[in-house]
Amino acid sequence: MHKLNTSRRRLLKAGAASLFLTGVPISGFTKAKQQGTISVIILEGGLDGLAAVPPIGDPDLMRMRQAINPESLLPVNDFFGLHPSLQYYAQLMARGHACAVHATAFPYAKRSHFEGQNMIEGGGLSPFSEKTGWLGRALDLAGASGQSLSLDMPLILRGHGVNDNFYPASIRGSRRPNTDLLNAIALGHSLDVAQLFRKVAFKNEANMQVPRDPASLAQYAGRAMSQTNGPVASVIRVGGFDSHANQTEEKDTDAGKLARQLKVLDDVINGYCDGLGDSWDDAIILTLTEFGRTVSINGTRGTDHGYASVGLLAGGALSGSGVATEWPGLSKKNQFENRDLMATIDYRSVCAACLERSLGLDHDLIASQVFHQPDLPRFFGHLFN
Amino acid sequence: MNIQFSIAQRTGLMFSHDQDLPQNMDTWIELQLQAASPALGIATKGAKISEWPQDLQPGLTQRAFLWRRYRYLKMQQRQKINGQERPAARQANNSENLMRERDEHKFVQRNVYGGDQVKLRLTSFWANHFTIGNTFDTAQMIGHAIDEGILAKLNGTFADLLYGITTHPGMLTYLDNVWSAGERSEQAKSCRKKLNCQAGLNDNLGRELLELHTVSIAAGYTEDDIKEAAKVLAGWGIDFEAGVPEIRKRTGNNDHWNAYKKRWTEPGKKYILGKTINAGRGGLRELTDFLASHHSTITHISTKLCRHFVSDNPTRDQIEAVKTVWLQSGGDLKSIHTKVLQLAVDAPKAKFLWPMTWLFQVVRLSGATYFKGWENIEDYDDKLMSSKRVFEELGQSFWSSRQPNGYSDDKADWMSVEMLERRIRIAGTIYENANTQVSVAQIMDRIGATLKTRALVASVGASTKDQFVALMCSPELMGLDYA
Repeated sequence: MHKLNTSRRRLLKAGAASLFLTGVPISGFTKAKQQGTISVIILEGGLDGLAAVPPIGDPDLMRMRQAINPESLLPVNDFFGLHPSLQYYAQLMARGHACAVHATAFPYAKRSHFEGQNMIEGGGLSPFSEKTGWLGRALDLAGASGQSLSLDMPLILRGHGVNDNFYPASIRGSRRPNTDLLNAIALGHSLDVAQLFRKVAFKNEANMQVPRDPASLAQYAGRAMSQTNGPVASVIRVGGFDSHANQTEEKDTDAGKLARQLKVLDDVINGYCDGLGDSWDDAIILTLTEFGRTVSINGTRGTDHGYASVGLLAGGALSGSGVATEWPGLSKKNQFENRDLMATIDYRSVCAACLERSLGLDHDLIASQVFHQPDLPRFFGHLFN
Repeated sequence: MNIQFSIAQRTGLMFSHDQDLPQNMDTWIELQLQAASPALGIATKGAKISEWPQDLQPGLTQRAFLWRRYRYLKMQQRQKINGQERPAARQANNSENLMRERDEHKFVQRNVYGGDQVKLRLTSFWANHFTIGNTFDTAQMIGHAIDEGILAKLNGTFADLLYGITTHPGMLTYLDNVWSAGERSEQAKSCRKKLNCQAGLNDNLGRELLELHTVSIAAGYTEDDIKEAAKVLAGWGIDFEAGVPEIRKRTGNNDHWNAYKKRWTEPGKKYILGKTINAGRGGLRELTDFLASHHSTITHISTKLCRHFVSDNPTRDQIEAVKTVWLQSGGDLKSIHTKVLQLAVDAPKAKFLWPMTWLFQVVRLSGATYFKGWENIEDYDDKLMSSKRVFEELGQSFWSSRQPNGYSDDKADWMSVEMLERRIRIAGTIYENANTQVSVAQIMDRIGATLKTRALVASVGASTKDQFVALMCSPELMGLDYA
């Protein structure tokens, strides 16, 4: 990661943790591994971390972003607030069930959506280097199954044959295809495709009643994960975070495009919580996004592609709460390439910690086999104990 | 599969059940590339195939007028004035705002009934390359961009295609350029004197013009190059709600296409990838011409064409063959297309078919009436869904909201339990509800189905519906491998 000038750094004790990620890995735990579930919400388009979790204590924030900074922030601490759309998330945080990791990124700084999305899902060392996803590879190692709530099978879950997807159909005049037909068709196809046709045959009729909005899908996924022998991982995509223009309304910075998308995110987290029920205690939810956005606003009341953003984590498995960060500062000299929020935490470490907690895999195994980065720093202690 | 159908599967949409097969497939692609392209369809279920009426496919000015009126009445509805909040008035307003639904329906019908199947496949390739996603305000323009910006320009040069689509209001709106102003433009200068006035650059289109539409990241451009491209683009495009008088006043144009707002433009020369671009209206054409002939663009798009038509993993030789034709012909699309389609015909196997391509082929092969007539677009039909709904189910529509990189050409991105489940179900509803004209045995004889396909169809038992589903979801008709 990028080296920081320590004298300029403003160290923060915010919530659970403050750390310097280029430093030494934190020593591991030796007690028996706990396990739980892991859910990933992919925020497509590049979430503006400075709008979702604004660093109100940073004097440069208002100087650079007055026209779009949300007015009615929800309090976290003296330095950070939460966007007013994240009501439910703020309640979770107050209960000690949510932690935001700020100024964080995957090791990718070239600001392309599509390379970035490939990096955050593939988890490889460079864009398009992986044909499978980091969650898929981890589930394969753990021998556990995951489910995507989408019509397609996203890259992040590929790499483990038992993984599945679910998206309710709504086709007038159609019934579920019969098992004999599906098995006969499967016999004609090559093995990988045949396996998919056979899975169609196993789908449960009751699934059909689920509405398609992301929050309902999250609730469905939560319920599925709470079942004995249910999947232990799930993935949901929420689009619309590419806020180049009119990120907020002109007269009301609490409202607008980004506010609506953050509300969808808040509802998805709420849906997961409802669906998981008692399984919430061992659950982790985390967001992923391909990049953050420029510190300064552009000429169209929006923000362009940047570098670091924020990751929002929730779930009963978390022991840290608040905002975990090594705040780099927003002033021009502290920005990445004089425009973006600098990344001080490698988000792969956050993903690795969530995998370690939910799948019971060793950090070293995750670092080398899942992320192909044996010296990936361990973040576990900042989120779990 | 016999030669006629094998070529039509890879390069077109299959011959309809009642169509005479061409005698000479060697000249077929060439003839197809020059085929006339009327928008064919049916007015009502069972009607004869005819051309879509002109009044259902208006130009941009009329589209903008309809959209403005729709938005105006919606505002009255919210404010509860002029009776617009009454259900009947709301219904009437919605019924007059069916441009998006009509456009998609027309696209679907012409793909089902059109005699220009190869041009339609190429149109889909380019409509995807130059993706204009649905962002609500773009919905009224996507169909126009596909018809006039792509299909009508298939036999010109890539440079013309690129300039035309870059200056189409659909693209300029989708990638936020209509609001972008040069930092040193008159607009930005006067804006800075006012309170709460925002005017400046937005680099969204500049970035995707380089990354997706032309040279790709492989060209090694910098953030400065992107910013310079955004400066060239600043001032291009005008809000779709602008009426003719406003367009004339601000751009001197009569409609939204190719509209250039001088007050919003960045003065001075710009520098992109080492090329100097002059100030003024001609600057954008200088830029798109430079990008169109850039070696990285030629490599990027030749590769993409091969991935779409030839193979998920095209060979170096295949890509080089397209690049050579591109260079020799100076970016002549007809020459480039001819080469790519020939490579597709010569490839050892067919490519996995996109959901939309597969569906059009299924409907054409079976002679089904799976889509309503254009006169019935609003009528409920307990058997036939709207085009919009069908393609939502399949997960592929040019009218969906999606990212600017468009749909993947890689089979892996389309392989999932739910994706295959949709194909099974839709094949089933076509057989049960859509009045297919030929039997499974007749289709298999006509296309020259392989013994493996015949064995698969025979293995599902006596149900003719199951046989139909098995045939349409066989490896042969989906472009997949046999066990």
